[in-house]
Amino acid sequence: MRRLAQTALLALIGAGLLHTALFTDLYLRYVKEGLRPALIASGVALLLLGAVNACLDLRGNREPQEGHDHHEAHSHGHDHSTAPKVAWLLALPALSLLLYAPPALGAYTAAHSNGKPVATSPKERFPALPATSPLPLTLTGFTQRVQQDPTLAIRGRQVQLTGFVTPAGAGGGWYLTRIIFTCCAADSQTVKVRVHGSDAPPANTWLAVTGTWHPAGRLGTKTAEAALDVREVHPIAQPVNAYTDDLPLTPS
Amino acid sequence: MGKTDELVGVVDRAATVVTPTAPPARPSPVRPLLALTAAAAVGITVLLLARAGVLDRPAVQAWRTVCLAITVQALPFLILGTVLSGAINAFVPADLFTRVLPKRSALAVPVAGVAGAVLPGCECASVPVANSLIRRGVTPAAAFAFLLSAPAINPIVLTATAVAFPGNPAMVAARLVASLATAAVMGWLWLCFGKEKWLRPAVRHTGHQHGHSRWAEFRQGFQHDFLHAGGFLVLGAMAAATFNVAVPRSVLDAFSGSPWLSVLFLAGLAVLLAVCSEADAFVAASLTGFSPTARLAFMVVGPMVDLKLIALQAGTFGRAFAVRFSAATTVVAVAASALIGGALL
Repeated sequence: MRRLAQTALLALIGAGLLHTALFTDLYLRYVKEGLRPALIASGVALLLLGAVNACLDLRGNREPQEGHDHHEAHSHGHDHSTAPKVAWLLALPALSLLLYAPPALGAYTAAHSNGKPVATSPKERFPALPATSPLPLTLTGFTQRVQQDPTLAIRGRQVQLTGFVTPAGAGGGWYLTRIIFTCCAADSQTVKVRVHGSDAPPANTWLAVTGTWHPAGRLGTKTAEAALDVREVHPIAQPVNAYTDDLPLTPS
Repeated sequence: MGKTDELVGVVDRAATVVTPTAPPARPSPVRPLLALTAAAAVGITVLLLARAGVLDRPAVQAWRTVCLAITVQALPFLILGTVLSGAINAFVPADLFTRVLPKRSALAVPVAGVAGAVLPGCECASVPVANSLIRRGVTPAAAFAFLLSAPAINPIVLTATAVAFPGNPAMVAARLVASLATAAVMGWLWLCFGKEKWLRPAVRHTGHQHGHSRWAEFRQGFQHDFLHAGGFLVLGAMAAATFNVAVPRSVLDAFSGSPWLSVLFLAGLAVLLAVCSEADAFVAASLTGFSPTARLAFMVVGPMVDLKLIALQAGTFGRAFAVRFSAATTVVAVAASALIGGALL
């Protein structure tokens, strides 16, 4: 790979990283929010390196090779002015980020994964619920209240959950789902709440759903199903923090 | 998955050109033409696939997202690793490591393993750093112990493990001990059985040379290592994304019944999924159907052997090395997890 091509490739990757992390929120589809500074720093570093290379080339300043004798260097298969062809593969993610970024994981992935098991909380982790109605809850919070809360505080309460639609498959019906990841989309996990009493909207639609617990199993134990009897459904914009199971932050 | 196959095919051809007995530097007039044709072919195929809507099918979209996620997630760590490796090459005096490490290789191995705790981040950073250590005269056995232990026992990863397994400090201890043990055993195995010829000739970087600017050497070393390792990273990410999307998690439950099969199965899964070592504890915690020992095996094998690491190692140290080393590491890591998991969990 020639010097010019290497410079162009470095700049392309740098631009891709900056585009995804600095100028847009695209990176949130792929990695956790905390990685943003590292992505920006990486993009800047690569662009700087490309710029230095370009300046040196423009000044006609061919850099000395590392082995003094050209032939000797090549007999070791080493020459820093060329890079292996496999490096071209880096152009694919860079171009994909710049021109054709794939969407966040959605119903396809959710339908193919098991529900994420909800962590068991100690009893004192269930304080009295606020009196607001409908009460906004996360899918995880709702599942914990239904399956673990010994005070049964969720009984009869109107709750509001947000997530996207995942059709349940052959049996019909649908789930309200969130995909959560810790580091990047490769370690994604799905939380699901079964929804009763409304026809399935198209897959991947983001919804805020209001309703009460669908009585199935014994409330406060593992037998209770994380399910909701729907009172009201209305579409919302995809939250900025789509990859967490938090109360929604809608784009401003 | 047509795109995957086709891309991997292109890579194979590209990879064969990168062997140490590389062709002469002066390119024959045919090669740029060939490269242009290949690039055009890839471009046209991608366009055709996009027109036909193949790229927008849910499965292909999920594949692209996961592939891109692995790459984007790993790039900053790869840059950190190659910057460190370039700096070690250009700025660190040649005899520093040989002075600091114990003279006897058998002792240097566990010391280097424990030293892995200082490199924060996940596994992509440790491959170039280990390579630069070897170049600076560190015995390969010690460098490999460092390579294996660094992504598994650094404070960030151990903290993540403690968070993912609340109220279960034995899991953190077991991970630390099993990872260190595997790293040390692999180092000693290399001392006994390793052959230099499996390694790609390590004379590639010669450190600082008199009369050259250290900064220019640093920049060139960084650029070369980054482009090289980056290409292999993308290759590994493609392979890992393929399994990530193609293996539905519901298959997992089928293997959770038998204790021995489940250890082997989760170890294999760790290799295929290539989850970053900072996140694998959370994935392990979610595999509730499996025994603690099997989940330990997932967390011990994952940072040491996975598809993107095998690709990175093949690119850095050579294919002959990567195949033998990864296979041996998997066996040792599974054995260590079974023993230590049996004792502690």
